[in-house]
Amino acid sequence: MAEFLMYLTNGLVMGVINAISAIGVSLVVGIMRVINFAHGELYIFAGYFSYHLSLTLGLSPILAMPLSVIFVFLMGVLMERFLIRPTYGDEMYSLIITFVLSIILQNSALLIFGPYPNKPPTLISGATSFFGLFHYGNQRLFSFIISIAILLSVFYLIKRTWFGKSVRAISQDREMASLMGIDHLKVNMLSFGLGAALAGAAGVIIAPIFPVTPTGSSAISLTAFVVVVLGGMGSLKGCVVGGLILGILENLGAAYISTMYRHIFGFIILILVLVFRPWGLFGQRT
Amino acid sequence: MDKVEFMRFWIFIPFIFLTLFLPFFLSQYWLHVMIISLFYVMMASSWNLIAGYTGQISFAHAAFAGVGAYVSGMLAVNMGIPAWLGILIGTSIAGLLGLGLGYLCIRMGGIYLSLTTLGFSEILRIIITNEDRWTRGTMGLQIPGFFIEYSKMSYYFLFLIVSAFFLWVIYRLIRSEMGLSFRAVLNDELAASSSGIDTIRVRILAFTISSAMAGMAGGLYGHYLMLITPDIPSLGQMFLVLAMAVIGGMGSFIGPILGAFVLEILSEYIRIYGEYHVLLFGLVALGMARFAPGGIMGLLEKRWRLREMS
Amino acid sequence: MRQRILEGKGVTKSFGGLMAIHKVDFYLNEGEIVGLIGPNGAGKTTLFNVISGVYPLDEGELFFNGTSISSLKPFEICRLGIGRTFQIVRPFLKMTCLENILIGLIGRGERQKNLREKKKEARFYLEFVGLKGRENSVAKDLTLIEKKRLEMARALATNPKLLLLDEVLAGLNPSEILQALELIDIIRSQLRVTIFWIEHVMGAIMKASDRIIVLNQGEKIKEGKPEEIVSDPQVIEAYLGESNA
Repeated sequence: MAEFLMYLTNGLVMGVINAISAIGVSLVVGIMRVINFAHGELYIFAGYFSYHLSLTLGLSPILAMPLSVIFVFLMGVLMERFLIRPTYGDEMYSLIITFVLSIILQNSALLIFGPYPNKPPTLISGATSFFGLFHYGNQRLFSFIISIAILLSVFYLIKRTWFGKSVRAISQDREMASLMGIDHLKVNMLSFGLGAALAGAAGVIIAPIFPVTPTGSSAISLTAFVVVVLGGMGSLKGCVVGGLILGILENLGAAYISTMYRHIFGFIILILVLVFRPWGLFGQRT
Repeated sequence: MDKVEFMRFWIFIPFIFLTLFLPFFLSQYWLHVMIISLFYVMMASSWNLIAGYTGQISFAHAAFAGVGAYVSGMLAVNMGIPAWLGILIGTSIAGLLGLGLGYLCIRMGGIYLSLTTLGFSEILRIIITNEDRWTRGTMGLQIPGFFIEYSKMSYYFLFLIVSAFFLWVIYRLIRSEMGLSFRAVLNDELAASSSGIDTIRVRILAFTISSAMAGMAGGLYGHYLMLITPDIPSLGQMFLVLAMAVIGGMGSFIGPILGAFVLEILSEYIRIYGEYHVLLFGLVALGMARFAPGGIMGLLEKRWRLREMS
Repeated sequence: MRQRILEGKGVTKSFGGLMAIHKVDFYLNEGEIVGLIGPNGAGKTTLFNVISGVYPLDEGELFFNGTSISSLKPFEICRLGIGRTFQIVRPFLKMTCLENILIGLIGRGERQKNLREKKKEARFYLEFVGLKGRENSVAKDLTLIEKKRLEMARALATNPKLLLLDEVLAGLNPSEILQALELIDIIRSQLRVTIFWIEHVMGAIMKASDRIIVLNQGEKIKEGKPEEIVSDPQVIEAYLGESNA
């Protein structure tokens, strides 16, 4: 029982991190109809930045983590401005460009950071006892809390701020939003950057728990995509619910069925969603 | 025929002579490079059928090649099935998987196809890597060759014949009514649909044919190398195929052929210095996609057209 | 009594929270030219999109020659005999004029004719709309009115019994408008096609239509002969309301 609860808790922690990552994808899909295949690479780049900033440069993790996210945000903004923007209206080319970019980044990561897994230092050490049933790492708890904080901030951003309202307006009808005076190009750029930043945030939160490797990026992108499809494209709520479901299923599956096939559960969910309910849990039926 | 087509035709003829007689003058090493290039010709052309002609970006192409290679290979190793039959079975299975995946995703839109094919590719690689009792995982599975007596020359002509067959099929398809439907769907799916074209059926058909072709290419490849590894259905291979089509020229007939030969030969030279060819091709492909979407063929055509006008 | 070629009862469609068309009843008789007018945002193109299957309707029923078409896909509706043009013209830009029209012929779904026969028929439609000699021109090189003619030819090639025209006259100069009106008239009389037509060029649509339907903010507010509509206070109010806003 204690074991089960521990796996469940793992699932919840991974789940909220998945959700953050997925929202990064979902935002961009909703507003620009573009899938960023380089998502996983941005995630691990953030992890690597965090590692090198703390270990090589000696910055405290409290600084290293947000700085890494900012770097990745800037990467996203540059990507949008120079690579994606010119392909507007052409779904196919943006797919090709982000895919090629992901390969370039993956190979660059191998060259720059090396093939070995890197693990930035944890912020909090030790473990807390859960109802006397099991001990759970404090760093993981911390990650959970930070993740929730980030999710709440994102929701606030989207629901309350002017930026969020612009994003929602553009997602529904770009022409109308533009006629209403919204600088849709700028919002695009910032959204893409935000999507990248969320990938980065997920990356820096995970890095102290599971080390980053350059070859893990495809699985990360895939997980985010599955969550988005499961939750429903364009639904933030769906990302959270989907992320949690996937996190729990993957962890329980890995624990009780097979660790090697961890990611298969995601793929099976993807196929099931496509067969039975292609628009996802909270998506719009077209 | 306009001038561009005319010139293309006349470049083709000596090229055909070259391909028929060249092998007798090449070293074993370069013959090998030619065979690998022909494999990529098959892969890039069949990928171009869906990406260049119907606008669907699939990331499962290498995976389908892997299906062909492993099905055929394992049938040969475990049940003694001859290579030619194994390859046909592998092709059919790849085609069926393509039909299934296509049917599931295409109704929902291009993005879903790309996502699902990405997932399929990764999962296949994971399964092949982990089920090493059957597949020997990353160590690779040794499988019998296509011919009883090994001869690079024989393989060269085998690959040449099958490539020619692929190209013939693609050519006839594009010139047919179905080919026009492909291009209509590529240009404007809504207008095509409103004009009576069953766009979903068209796209599923293209995807199925293309997947089966990848399966056949993979099967042949496996029996040539006689050692199959999870590298075949990897995203790295997928990227190479994509890069060849993009750099050569998506949506053109010759583009993928050109891309396949150019990139494969180049990578042999670059490999002397290290495994940088992927990064380099990535940068070139990115540049092409961003600045010259028609690839090399597109650039050449523009120059020909400009020269005609002046 | 003439057969009702198209009939809609209580047709309703909304997007998210916005109601685009609300319980619209309408019908067209075979052989009529019916105009659909209304201020911007009244729901006219949405109605066309619902009829041609681009959007599913939320409520209501749609019948084409007695057959329900509410849940059919665009290509099925086209094959039943409803053709359309688009508000922003949409030819296949990278294909030649002949190929564009061929698609319309291919879309019929007939197996019997081979490609050569279809090409011959495509040339007929090309000439019919006045594009003779432009067979091998790529669509993106055409002028606006030529693109509109091409789109018309493609729609006619699908052998429609009903043609939905969405603002065909937009962007045309007066002499081009006259040519377009002539073409529409010939389509009705020679090819025997019923026409349902959205237009903002009032003079033209009033002159050419047998009957007018007026939409405002998603609802049908008036229906009748052009003479009646032109002087109707409600209709004038709807348009004035738009120009004041």
